[in-house]
Amino acid sequence: MTISRREPWLLLLPAVALLALGFLTPVVGMLVSSVIAPEGGGVTLSNFERLFGSEYYLGAAERSLRLSLIQTALAVILATPIAYIMSRATSWVRTAVLVVVILPLLTSVVVRTFGWVVLMGPAGALSSLPGIELLGAGSQGLLGTEAGVVIAMVQVLLPFAVLTILGVMSSVKQELEEASRMLGANFWRTLRHVVIPLSLPGIASGATLVFALSVSSFITPRLVGGVQLPVLAGTIYVDSTVGLDWPFAAAQSVLLFAGVILVIAATLRLGKVDR
Amino acid sequence: MSTLTISSIRKSFKGTEVLRGIDLTIESGSFVSLLGPSGCGKTTLLRCIAGLETPSSGQILIGGDDVTALAPERRRLGMMFQSYALFPHMTVLENVRFGLRMRADRSVAEQRKAARDALEVVRMEGYADRLPTQLSGGQQQRVALARAIAPEPRVLLLDEPLSNLDARLRDDMQIELVELHRRLGLTTVFVTHDQHEAMTMSDTVVLLNDGSVEQVGEPEDIYRRPATHFAADFIGAANMIAGEATAQGIRLDGVPGDALPRPDNATNGRGSLVVRTESIVVGHSPATGYDSAAPVTVLTSVFRGAEVIYVVELAGQRVKVTAPANVPIVPAGAAVASWASSEAFWLSETTVLTHER
Amino acid sequence: MVKSVPLVAKAAAVVLLAFLALYMLVPIIVVAGASLSESRFLAFPPTGLSLEWYVVALTSDVYLGPLQTSLLIAVVAAVIAATLGTAAALAVTRFPLPFSGAIQSFLLSPLIVPTIIMGIGTLTLVSVIGQGPDLWVLVVVHAVLGIPYVMRTVTGVMARSDRFTEEAARTLGAGTWSRYRFVVLPMARPGIVAGAFFAFNISFDDAVIALFLRTPQLETLPIAIYGRLEFSTDPSVAAVSTLMVLITVVTMIALEKAIGLGKAFV
Repeated sequence: MTISRREPWLLLLPAVALLALGFLTPVVGMLVSSVIAPEGGGVTLSNFERLFGSEYYLGAAERSLRLSLIQTALAVILATPIAYIMSRATSWVRTAVLVVVILPLLTSVVVRTFGWVVLMGPAGALSSLPGIELLGAGSQGLLGTEAGVVIAMVQVLLPFAVLTILGVMSSVKQELEEASRMLGANFWRTLRHVVIPLSLPGIASGATLVFALSVSSFITPRLVGGVQLPVLAGTIYVDSTVGLDWPFAAAQSVLLFAGVILVIAATLRLGKVDR
Repeated sequence: MSTLTISSIRKSFKGTEVLRGIDLTIESGSFVSLLGPSGCGKTTLLRCIAGLETPSSGQILIGGDDVTALAPERRRLGMMFQSYALFPHMTVLENVRFGLRMRADRSVAEQRKAARDALEVVRMEGYADRLPTQLSGGQQQRVALARAIAPEPRVLLLDEPLSNLDARLRDDMQIELVELHRRLGLTTVFVTHDQHEAMTMSDTVVLLNDGSVEQVGEPEDIYRRPATHFAADFIGAANMIAGEATAQGIRLDGVPGDALPRPDNATNGRGSLVVRTESIVVGHSPATGYDSAAPVTVLTSVFRGAEVIYVVELAGQRVKVTAPANVPIVPAGAAVASWASSEAFWLSETTVLTHER
Repeated sequence: MVKSVPLVAKAAAVVLLAFLALYMLVPIIVVAGASLSESRFLAFPPTGLSLEWYVVALTSDVYLGPLQTSLLIAVVAAVIAATLGTAAALAVTRFPLPFSGAIQSFLLSPLIVPTIIMGIGTLTLVSVIGQGPDLWVLVVVHAVLGIPYVMRTVTGVMARSDRFTEEAARTLGAGTWSRYRFVVLPMARPGIVAGAFFAFNISFDDAVIALFLRTPQLETLPIAIYGRLEFSTDPSVAAVSTLMVLITVVTMIALEKAIGLGKAFV
C-alpha cells in the first residue's frame, strides 16, 4: 500500500505515546524507586536489605510462592481435561462450556470473591460440608485458611488456564488420534502417547500465565485469608497505600516480578530439554 | 490376510443418509478401489471398516470375525490418512514402531528391527532418526505407509493417500503401491475420486454414487461395459445417443436408413447407445472396418496436440469425438461418423431409470 | 468427537463439566441469592425473599456516587482505548512496517505485566511527581489496560477480511477520509465494538488499580464493595454486586443483538 507514508505512523503514534506515558513510565519509575532510599537521596540497596532481612516479608513471599504453585497445579490439572473435552465436543457443548468459563471473567474479582466469602463463612454452605475440618476449617469456617484461599483463587484462575490450553489442544488434529487408534492404542493410551505430549507447550504457557496471575493477586487472598495470611502482593498493597512507603513496596514488587520471570524462564528451559 | 465382507451397511449423519445399504465382498489379497465423486460415501465406508465411524445398521466381517462393534484399536487394520497424520513429536522410527509397541508382543529391540524392515520396504531406512517435519510430502507419505504395514495388519486401508502429491510423484507412488501390493499380498482398500488412479492400480473397482454401489468389476469391465447411466458418465468420456433397440437392430432417433447392428448386450426397447469418444471415426464417407455409421454435421474441431476433439451433431444430438492428430482434420460441414458395434454398449431405459436419482 | 470413546471417559466428562459449571457459577449465584434476603445478615440460601436491598442499593449515596464514577471512568477509558487501539491495529495490519512485531508486542505488553505493578508504579509516579492520584490518572491507566484488548479484536477481524476492498475503493476514486469512513471502519466494526466492550469491562470491574489509586474523593464501585466487605456487610452489597453483573450481561446481549458481537470471533 503506497498511500501517504505518514499514515501508519500517525495512526500508531497516539497509542504508543499513551503507553509510553501510562505504562512504561510507571513501570520504569517503580523499578527506579526500588533502589532509592525512603528518606530521599541516593541510590541504595537498603530496601532490598530490609526485605530479605525480615521474617515477616520473607514469610509472605514464601506463602505467595507455595500457594501459587499449588493453585497453578490444580488449575492446570483441571483445565487440561476440560480443554480436551471442549476441543472434541459438538459445537453446542463447546459453546455452552465456553460461556460458563468466560462469564466469571466478565465480573469483577471483588464480586466473585464476595460469593466465596459468603460460602466459606461459619454459616456458609461450604463450611458445613462433612469432613471440611480436614482442610483446616475452624470457627470462621474456611475463612482465614489457606485451603479457602486456594479454592477461591483456583476458581478465578481456571478460565485463563482453560482458554490458553484450549488454543493448543484445538490444533492437535483429530487425525493423529485416529491414526493412533488404528495402530492399536486405545483411548487412554492415545491421550498419553499422542495428545498430552503434543499439548505440553500449551499446558506450559497456561501454567506460566496462571502462576503470574496467581502470585500477583491480593484481593482474594486478603478477603478470604484475612490479614493473618499475608501474601507478597498483599504486603505491597498495604505498604503502598497505607504505609506510603513506596520504595520499599517497589523493592517487594521487583522481587515479585523477578520471581515470575524466573518461573517463566524455567518453564521455557524445561520445554527445550524435552527435545 | 483376510476376506472383508460388508453386509447391508447403512450410515446416517444428522438425518442425512450417507450410506444406503452397501453389500460388498473383498477377496483376501485383492486390491480394491472405492471410486466415486465427492460425497458418494466412499470415505465414510472406509472409516466404517476402520472402526472410526459406527454404521447405523449392518455388519462388517474381517476374515470371518464380526468386527462391527469392535473398537478400532482391536481390529488389526492398517490405515493411511490423506494428511499422513505422522506423530510430529516422534522420530520416523518411533512413528513406525508405534503400532508394534501397542501390540507389545515382542521386545523393544525386535520392535525396532521390524520397524526398520518396514522402512526398508519403502526405502526410507536412512531417515529413521529424522522428525516428520524434516521430510518432504512424498517422504512423509512413505513413512505413513511403513507405519501402517509394520504391525502386519490384516487389511490395509488407504484414504486418498495420493491427492496431496504433485502429478509426477503421484504417478511414481501409484506404481510403488502396486508393487508393494504384489510383494506383500495384503488385502488393500483404496479410496479415490480419480478414475485413472483406480483403473491403474486395482484388481477390482467399486463405483459408488450417493451412498450406493453402482457397479463392481475389473477396471476394463467397467470401462467397456458400464452398467448404469452414472457409470457410463463417470468413467471415461462417453457419448450417449438416444434410440430404440429392436429385433432388426438399433434405430437412433432421427437417423434414417437401415437399423444398425446391435451391441451384444442390447435388450429391446428404448435406451441409449453408449460409445466412447475414441471409438468413433469421423470422415467424409463411412470408414472401412466399422459396421455402424451415421451422417453428422461437424460443428467445431479443437486441436489439442496429441489429439483432435470434434463436436459433431448427430440427428440433433451433440456427440464428442476424439481423433488422433495425425489424421487430417475434417472441416466443418457434412460428414460421416463410424464406429464398431462391438465397441459400443447399450443402456436400456429401464436401467437408466432405476439408477437415476 | 472421535468415535468410540469409552463409556467411562464419557461419564467422567459429564461429571467434570457439571462440576465446572457449578464451580464457575456458584459464587455469582450465591451473591445474587444473598441479595434477595429479607434479613439484615448475609446468608445463602437467603432467608425470605425481598427486593428491598436493591432499593437500598439504588437509592443510597454509598453506592450511587461510586457507580457514577465507575461508569464515567469506564466509558471514557473504553472510548480512548477503542480509538487509539483501533488506530494502532489498523496501522499494523494494513501497512508493512519496520519493527512491526516489536511494536505489536509493546502494545500488547500491558497484558503480561501484573496489574499490581501498574498500580504501585502509577501511585508512586503521580505521588512523587504530581499531586497524587485523581480521576484522570485512573482513566489513563484503564485506557492503557484496554488498548491490548482492542488491538487483539481489531487485528483479528482485519486479518480475516479482504485486503483488496480498500484498493478497489481507491481505484474508484475514494480519498483518505472516504476510504476510512466507507470501507475500513465498517469492516473493522465488529472488532472495534468487541474490543471496546472488553475495555469497558476491564475498567468497570477493575479493583486492583482502583485500590492503589484510591482517595476519599475517588471511589469506584468495586472499591465500595470491597470496603463494605471488609467492614460492614449487609445484603445491599450483594444487591449492588448483582447489579454490576447484570449491567455487564445486559450490555453484552444488547451489543450482540445490535452489532453482532459474535462476528468478531467467527
